[in-house]
Amino acid sequence: MPEKLFARSIDHIKDVYEFAENLFEANDIADDVRFPIHLALEELFVNLVSYNTAGREEILIEIDTADGGVAVTMTDFEAEDFDVSRPREVDIEASLKERKPGGLGLHLIQHMVDTLEYDHRDKRSKIRFTKESRKDDV
Amino acid sequence: MFEIDFGDSGEIVCRGRLDAAQSDKAEQFLGGLDGASVVDFEHLEYISSAGLAILLKTQKRLSESGAALKIVNVNKHIHDIFRYSGFTSIFEIEAK
Repeated sequence: MPEKLFARSIDHIKDVYEFAENLFEANDIADDVRFPIHLALEELFVNLVSYNTAGREEILIEIDTADGGVAVTMTDFEAEDFDVSRPREVDIEASLKERKPGGLGLHLIQHMVDTLEYDHRDKRSKIRFTKESRKDDV
Repeated sequence: MFEIDFGDSGEIVCRGRLDAAQSDKAEQFLGGLDGASVVDFEHLEYISSAGLAILLKTQKRLSESGAALKIVNVNKHIHDIFRYSGFTSIFEIEAK
């Protein structure tokens, strides 16, 4: 499975995107799979970089492609326990006046990927998410 | 890569990928608006929650003077994000 380590900086979002996009191009992954996977990669990478500020090690990203679908595993070493799979309450019916910028990232990916799993042990956070190809939808 | 600028008709044209690393550029540009504006997403491929936060912040600020952003030519994937975010009820949005 292709894997790569990424330094903990928002500036490396572009490198994460290119790593994934090159694999998607090589494996003919459809846009309906690419878009939510790119979104989940960015939101989770930003989450790890922004909120686990005590982390010193690089973040490992592994991407597997099969039958048009994609499975991603992200591992953060020396991480605090923060369950990204826990449902986030976002009132999307709220008026413009009531809405506050921010807090949508995890809410979005929980709706857009097929599975999202989180495990934390021995100070290591492992996040796995998948998106399957739905060829029948065409 | 992300670009934002005024188009020939005074609309705001966005191009590329509006991710967390590019959101400052969007915030700087949209922060300079002081009235109703049309934002053309024809060439915007991608937006994440960082970009949504800038759009929402701008819409809230403009609404104080009775103005608003209208977002046009939104692709299917970005429209899905708007729908899951509840933006379809707080922005005027036209799909591609």
